[in-house]
Amino acid sequence: MFKSLDMTKPLIVLGLGLGLGLSLTVTAMFTHAAQFGIGETATAEQIEGWDIDIRPDGKGLPEGSGTVEAGEVLYEERCATCHGLFGEGEGRWPVLAGGQGTLKDERPTKTVGSYWPYASTLYDYIRRAMPFTAPRSLSDQQVYDVTAYVLYLNEIVEEDFVLTKDSLASIEMPNQDNFFIDPRPDVQNKRCMENCADPKKLMITGTLKGITPVGHFVQGADAPAASHDAQMEKEQEEEKQRKASITGEAIAEKHAVEAASLSELALAGKTTYEGACKVCHGSGLTGSPKFGDSDAWSARIKKGMPVLLDHAVNGFSGDTGVMPPKGGRVDLSDQQVEQAVAYMVESSQ
Amino acid sequence: MSKIIKGPSTRELMEQMVQESEHLSISDRRDFLRKGVAAAAGIAATTFAGRSTAAEINKTNLPPNEPTWGKQLGHGVVEQPYGSPSQFEKHVVRRTVPWLTADSIASISMTPLQDLKGIITPNGLVFERYHGGVPQVNPDEHRLIIHGLVERPLIFTMEDLMRFPSVSEIKFIECPANGGMEWKGAQMEALQFTHGMLSCCEWTGVPLRVLLEEAGVKPEGKWILAEGADGAHMSRSIPLEKALDDTLVVYAQNGEMLRPEQGYPLRLLNPGWEGNTSIKWLRRLEVGDKPWYHREETSKYTDLMPDGRARKFTFVQEANSVITTPCPENPLVKPGFVEIEGLAWSGRGKVKHVDISFDGGVSWVPANLKGLVLDKSLTRFSLVTKWNGQPWLLQSRSVDETGYVQPTLAQLREVRGGNSIYHKNSIHTWKVAPTGEITNVQIT
Repeated sequence: MFKSLDMTKPLIVLGLGLGLGLSLTVTAMFTHAAQFGIGETATAEQIEGWDIDIRPDGKGLPEGSGTVEAGEVLYEERCATCHGLFGEGEGRWPVLAGGQGTLKDERPTKTVGSYWPYASTLYDYIRRAMPFTAPRSLSDQQVYDVTAYVLYLNEIVEEDFVLTKDSLASIEMPNQDNFFIDPRPDVQNKRCMENCADPKKLMITGTLKGITPVGHFVQGADAPAASHDAQMEKEQEEEKQRKASITGEAIAEKHAVEAASLSELALAGKTTYEGACKVCHGSGLTGSPKFGDSDAWSARIKKGMPVLLDHAVNGFSGDTGVMPPKGGRVDLSDQQVEQAVAYMVESSQ
Repeated sequence: MSKIIKGPSTRELMEQMVQESEHLSISDRRDFLRKGVAAAAGIAATTFAGRSTAAEINKTNLPPNEPTWGKQLGHGVVEQPYGSPSQFEKHVVRRTVPWLTADSIASISMTPLQDLKGIITPNGLVFERYHGGVPQVNPDEHRLIIHGLVERPLIFTMEDLMRFPSVSEIKFIECPANGGMEWKGAQMEALQFTHGMLSCCEWTGVPLRVLLEEAGVKPEGKWILAEGADGAHMSRSIPLEKALDDTLVVYAQNGEMLRPEQGYPLRLLNPGWEGNTSIKWLRRLEVGDKPWYHREETSKYTDLMPDGRARKFTFVQEANSVITTPCPENPLVKPGFVEIEGLAWSGRGKVKHVDISFDGGVSWVPANLKGLVLDKSLTRFSLVTKWNGQPWLLQSRSVDETGYVQPTLAQLREVRGGNSIYHKNSIHTWKVAPTGEITNVQIT
């Protein structure tokens, strides 16, 4: 494959061929001067900005500390819309807490507390990827706080726990000892050609009906949908039908207003909506008013645009849900938020 | 495990299917074949094929008439500066299973294996897997940093990376969750959904080994953390042995620069290993002495066993295979000669043999390997036979060059139970009805 390179590095190839035993010898050779001299030396400053990873032994953790109390406030603002107030998970978003003792069950619940082997992973992951709609928006301090709170939700730390560089690395997670190195190949089939099984004993089962998303192939079929939006619609419609069947209420058809009748301000907000707001408002996640649902929006619209905009920019806790400041997307300008609000309001009247 | 569904035995089913078809005369049966497939319960063949039905065919374009396109001119050059497939191939697209994930931004789509030929997946059809959507990375503003336990930390521009002598290799890439929807029972009536988290491209780039030599790995270096530049900053720990063996840092696929969906402008490629280790939008490689145990190697991509313990670092995609013709999307429509075709692959090397069973695994016949048989690549197999409406329980079984034989579902379940999600590489069964309709069944 890499013949020209291989010939200049015969010992390396030999070392690889012989496996792990020689890896020390092999790596030691790398202290040789660079062969191609391509690329610049990365400066400490350049590396520091990107070197965000944390290891179980605490390597990589920044200075600082966090508390459960401060984490609770942040969690409810930035995390609860998807993960639920108690880490129970909304819709298909990940469940964070509970599930301990379920790993052998028919349907195990894998959470931070029931499954994750190291607390450091929580800090690392929140820091690199959360909140989902605004990665890298939390300060190191805030990551400490939220990490402390999620550990608290899992009853791994007490309410008054202070998470620090040292205390994080010393936390023992309940499931820590239950991971082991891949033992595959773990089954040995034989290349049998004749009389390999007794056809009287081979059991055959078909598919469960109604699971393949044939919405891809069959128009109008009563079948799982082909897109995430359509699937959400379908599930909400089913939920509405279910509720209506209990309360006896008639189901009113609600449609989003056609784009043609939108103002310029609203049209400018479409992109922001798609990228930032739709994650929750597209489905009405955690009590947020759903895009196009005039009933859900009418009371809010009555409060007037300035109030709506204030809530959208600065955050708001209502009876049915929580709107984090700018939906967690603090990178958005006030103007972008205004445009997106106008887009949602005008489309939902 | 108790909830795994049991059905009749394969003998009972085959006998029943034979009985059902026996009252049909030969002409009936042909008619049945023609009409029956389209009318079959579930998914109609015509809608699957996405092309003209017999009724829609314009006979004036058929011999002896001169067709419309023979009596006029077509468009000229650069009408489409970047060409696209024929308008009659619009059904050949990636598709997703929406109920699998909460949102399309952190989700997966599948390659339409049922419509592809040879072993190369066209760039626009390579399966997608994102943890935070597709970033639009400006290559002039993209950098790769190598640091940690190295003599000289390095930062590369894309221009730098493309100055290194390049290599081009054909390798498959597969999500370890491919087939994972079917651990407890058959679920998907489509090849695209049972096996489509799988693609194969010619990748061009630099062996990671070369870049590590430039930086000089210190003797204590044993693991590498690879990290993406996307919003998920996807990260995985890779053992140094793999990095020095065949890992590539690639910037091109199938002759052109990577597609944004595949990590433009730069991604890692760990041949034969679970797809998520091949970090896309690669921006950082840190050499360390221990693994990092990040979210995608603890919470996810670990395999839960029936005793409640879990396997970690389950990197290899073991030998696997599937029949692509026929399949639910490609039913048998005419009696007579039929070329049974499929794909086989192994993360441990080359495919050595593929065998085919018509009776649910009781007896097997060797298939031929067609075209290129390459290390950690898709390999196409074929067997020409005759079908006259007899029911089949069609299976394929691959053997790789290490001697590993693709296992049965029962063998995997016995060891791993039904909750391990990943690495389900068991022998797959298509039930061929006398109508030619193909359905997904499991034999245990």
